Amino acid sequence: MRNIWTLLRKDMRVARNVRRLLREQSLFKVVFILLFAGGLLLGLWAMFVEGFQFLDSLGGVGLMLIGRLFSLFFFGLGIMLVLSSIVTAYTSAIGSDETTYLMLQPLTFGEITVYKLLQAAFYASWAFFFAIIPFVSAYAKHEQLPPSFALWTLFYAVPLVLLCAGVGVIVCLAVARWFPQSRALRTAFLLAALAAVVWFMASYARSVRGQSETTIILSRLVPGLHLASHPLWPTWWVAEGILCVTRHEWGRGLMLWLVLVTTTGLVGMFAEWMGSAIFYDTWQRVRASGTRTIRRRTLLGFVEPWLRWIPPDIRALILKDVRTFLRDPAQWSQSLIFFGLLGLYFLNLRNLRYHMMPPEWRNLIAFLNIFSVSSVLCSFGSRFVFPQLSLEGHGFWIIGLAPTTMRRVLVAKFFVALAGMSVVSLTLMHLSTAMLQVDWVMRSVALGIAVSVSITISGLSTGLGAIFIDLRQQNPSAIISGFGGTLNLVLSLAYMFLAIVPFAMAFHMRATGHIGASNMGGAIVLAGGWLALLTLALSVLPLILGARSLARREY
Amino acid sequence: MIEMEHVSKHFGTVHAVNELTLRVPAGELFCFLGPNGAGKTTTIKLLCGLLKPTEGTIRIGGLDIRTHGVEARAITGYIPDFPFMYDRLTAAEFYEFTGDLHRVPRETVAREMEESFTLLGLMEYRHTLVRDLSHGLRQRLIYGVTMLHKPRVIFVDEPFIGLDPFSIRMIKDLLREQARSGVTVFLTTHILALIEDLAARIGIIVNGRLVAAGSMDELRAGRDIKGDRLEDIFFSLAR
Repeated sequence: MRNIWTLLRKDMRVARNVRRLLREQSLFKVVFILLFAGGLLLGLWAMFVEGFQFLDSLGGVGLMLIGRLFSLFFFGLGIMLVLSSIVTAYTSAIGSDETTYLMLQPLTFGEITVYKLLQAAFYASWAFFFAIIPFVSAYAKHEQLPPSFALWTLFYAVPLVLLCAGVGVIVCLAVARWFPQSRALRTAFLLAALAAVVWFMASYARSVRGQSETTIILSRLVPGLHLASHPLWPTWWVAEGILCVTRHEWGRGLMLWLVLVTTTGLVGMFAEWMGSAIFYDTWQRVRASGTRTIRRRTLLGFVEPWLRWIPPDIRALILKDVRTFLRDPAQWSQSLIFFGLLGLYFLNLRNLRYHMMPPEWRNLIAFLNIFSVSSVLCSFGSRFVFPQLSLEGHGFWIIGLAPTTMRRVLVAKFFVALAGMSVVSLTLMHLSTAMLQVDWVMRSVALGIAVSVSITISGLSTGLGAIFIDLRQQNPSAIISGFGGTLNLVLSLAYMFLAIVPFAMAFHMRATGHIGASNMGGAIVLAGGWLALLTLALSVLPLILGARSLARREY
Repeated sequence: MIEMEHVSKHFGTVHAVNELTLRVPAGELFCFLGPNGAGKTTTIKLLCGLLKPTEGTIRIGGLDIRTHGVEARAITGYIPDFPFMYDRLTAAEFYEFTGDLHRVPRETVAREMEESFTLLGLMEYRHTLVRDLSHGLRQRLIYGVTMLHKPRVIFVDEPFIGLDPFSIRMIKDLLREQARSGVTVFLTTHILALIEDLAARIGIIVNGRLVAAGSMDELRAGRDIKGDRLEDIFFSLAR
């Protein structure tokens, strides 16, 4: 325990130093982050308040839903927390150099595991608290609850965060230790896991069918409601406990809190025991296996002959970037999560019966989908495209001394980003509009925006990445969080709003009858012209400035 | 102080260390030498407990590192070629943190820091963040931090990479001083002149096997080696 306290005290010192460093950061960046965070919180809060009012307006079913929505909300957050804890635990407990350092200190593996559990809880809980603050305060406003309600929520949320982090660490260690290494066994394991999920969903659907009519109706309205209300889920204890305390049912509230805390303690103890037993072997398996990766001819190798028409220097740069991306699991796995979740959501649009809604509603959902795809593209541009030139790092001299120009290097980077973004955004947009069965005008607008956003984000991120290049920095997050990275994100988001809103306005005005069918074509052409101008300015200009900046550099 | 008995480490089909048996007594400055990929760093990592031997046993100060890992780590210090450091702690905070982990009393930490930072020329950087220190200063700091808990064995992997002549001299003196005070120093480097200058005994490892170990004279004895320098001995044995 003393060692864990020492480690936590070190983290507090680091936090204090980071706070000091923040004061030295540019005011622009700090103000932007604060404004963005505040705007996000406020937006979420307004959305939840609106949602509660909407449910209120439904009468009986709505009121029943509000009561149960609490457990569904915490259930969803709990799952997200466990998933993010698994990822965080893997990177911070097994993948980090800090662990190697700690393993050389007089610490037990159980202590290292518990420390990493606390770290995972801390890192994974940011989004959790970001989501519960607006939800709970909207609920408190709706129910006219006293401010002490926030305190009770915190009282229940902290053990839940620790519990989910504990589960995340246990799952992470178990998977890293025992996940089969042979491809056949791995496939069999994944198929078995998939079968288990299907079986679970089928048995869940059966269990819902056996319930009362109200439960069946509520479950149809909000999928997963029945599952989230199961009294064995810790997230249900949290939801129910908070509501009990709010209703002044102190005894039951305390009982649920104690159940939560003791379970958290038990999970923590189990994690420590597991760490003592398998942490060393797990680390050995992942970090010290010493396998030499031999790459035989991959798919890219077969594609290569078809790229002969591209000039050799640009082709070499393109292939290098694609190979680097594909061979870095951190990059492609994050991209897969970014876009995979959206893809899954779009695939389920018909299960949610959105395609049966009136055309105005479908168009509204299509625009929300355009916003979500575009914002993911903005994040993708800031996370992967902007830092790519800086990440060339000490190897940049190879490019600098090569018989090619910096303009061509930039063009290669731009086209790699554009190709990747276009494929993903067009696929997602096509999926969304097809699932919603919107008309050809909406579909054309969605696909046009997808192409424009891809061009702009690729050009802007590549160009600004060249202007704010930092070859000494090897940490991508430090590159992204610098002035250039922040500016890139701000401009990307601003472009996104400026590009999409005119189209959304045109469709909204048409739906509300402010413009007629005859004027709709003109409005869309106008919005399209504006989009083309913006795209041209924010993609070509940064590329030109970036190329000039690179050409002036000394290596 | 360091005992390795029939230690092997296999990575799949690659035998990085093979049947290595070695004893280094207390107070000896032992240099481990070998071509790239010969198994030097793997051996050091095995000795520190970062790697688990496929076969054989390792004892540090009489403690089996598998069964008494925490106790063994309490009496050892390891300085890798590119050590991990907490970039967002100041030099003094990092020093204090290591002291706390090794349960060194705070008063002792303060006294040792004063002495060590003065010796290593770090006094004016004590409140500077580690990330803002140059490579040489970082290396000096890691030496200071490693010596804080008075380890009985120090493992040093390639200690002179990227250092200026002043820093090299400082580190050489420090390692000599440690050995003189009874600490066992186990060092790997490719700079043969420094080994000649520093080492009491030298071990030569080739393809995971210890091909020779001893003082310069012992290495030469009974072998037909042209030349007196370590370079000649090394090329003759490692070929």
